[in-house]
Amino acid sequence: MAAFKTLVVRHEGQVAGVIRSLLGTTPEAEDVGQEVFIRFYDALNKFRGESKVSTYLVRIAINLSLNELKKRKRTASRYASMEAADGIKGIEETLDLKEHLQYAFDKLDPDFRAVATLRLIEGYSTEETAGILEIPLGTALSRLARAQQKLRLSLTKKLRP
Amino acid sequence: MNDQFSEHEELLLRSWDAPVSARERDTLAEVIQNNPAIRQQSDQYQKIRTMLLRTEPDSFGPFFAERIMNMIKQRTQQIDYLIFFFFKKYQVLLVGVLVALLVSNMLLTDQLTLKGIFGLEQETTEDVFSIDLYENLIK
Repeated sequence: MAAFKTLVVRHEGQVAGVIRSLLGTTPEAEDVGQEVFIRFYDALNKFRGESKVSTYLVRIAINLSLNELKKRKRTASRYASMEAADGIKGIEETLDLKEHLQYAFDKLDPDFRAVATLRLIEGYSTEETAGILEIPLGTALSRLARAQQKLRLSLTKKLRP
Repeated sequence: MNDQFSEHEELLLRSWDAPVSARERDTLAEVIQNNPAIRQQSDQYQKIRTMLLRTEPDSFGPFFAERIMNMIKQRTQQIDYLIFFFFKKYQVLLVGVLVALLVSNMLLTDQLTLKGIFGLEQETTEDVFSIDLYENLIK
């Protein structure tokens, strides 16, 4: 049990980063985080060490986060109240560049967001990203490019020098 | 807004995430130098990537590991209780069956004694002697 606690402490940062990038800083994010470690605990007997523990945990985190997003069926919940009050265009005007980037990121399709989270936020290599998501390298690259393009187009006005 | 990739934009993005040939690298360098639109795009993409990249580790807040360990402990206790409860049902059933057998035994032998209940017949002195006599006769 003590060894498992050490493992949780060691990998909490990675798991939290991935989940929060996908779900935002919401109460569900911590619930998903707990679920990740409990699932890993249950699967310890089956874990053969073919992949790194971190890879395995991040894979569970991504899958559970994507399930949570499907459950929500709305991608920008953290801005929902602002959208209702100001409309999308109104929000875009009020947000600063970093907030606008976060807003645009939340608007990405979950599949694009998953790739962008691993590669652009968490800093995994493209090969690792494809491996964690169990998709071909070419698919990872094309989703990555598409995600970045959407972000740039959404931020064009604010990115002008 | 045009969301189609230009050939150079695609190459630019690919150059950051996958290996490109020396020829492609040269082409890209030349385009960035001579094409202000691509240069601007390159700057914008780099700005986005820099802003997105996590520089500090994230966390679920203090005592997250402790919360996980408590959850695991509670769940294990719950499972133990469920196992105990599951087998307890069978223990009660077994006792019920035993009692039923003993009662049926008591009714069949029509004896309200422990020996009757447990199916142990009481042998009288006459019974014992009659057996001895019978055995003597045979001899």
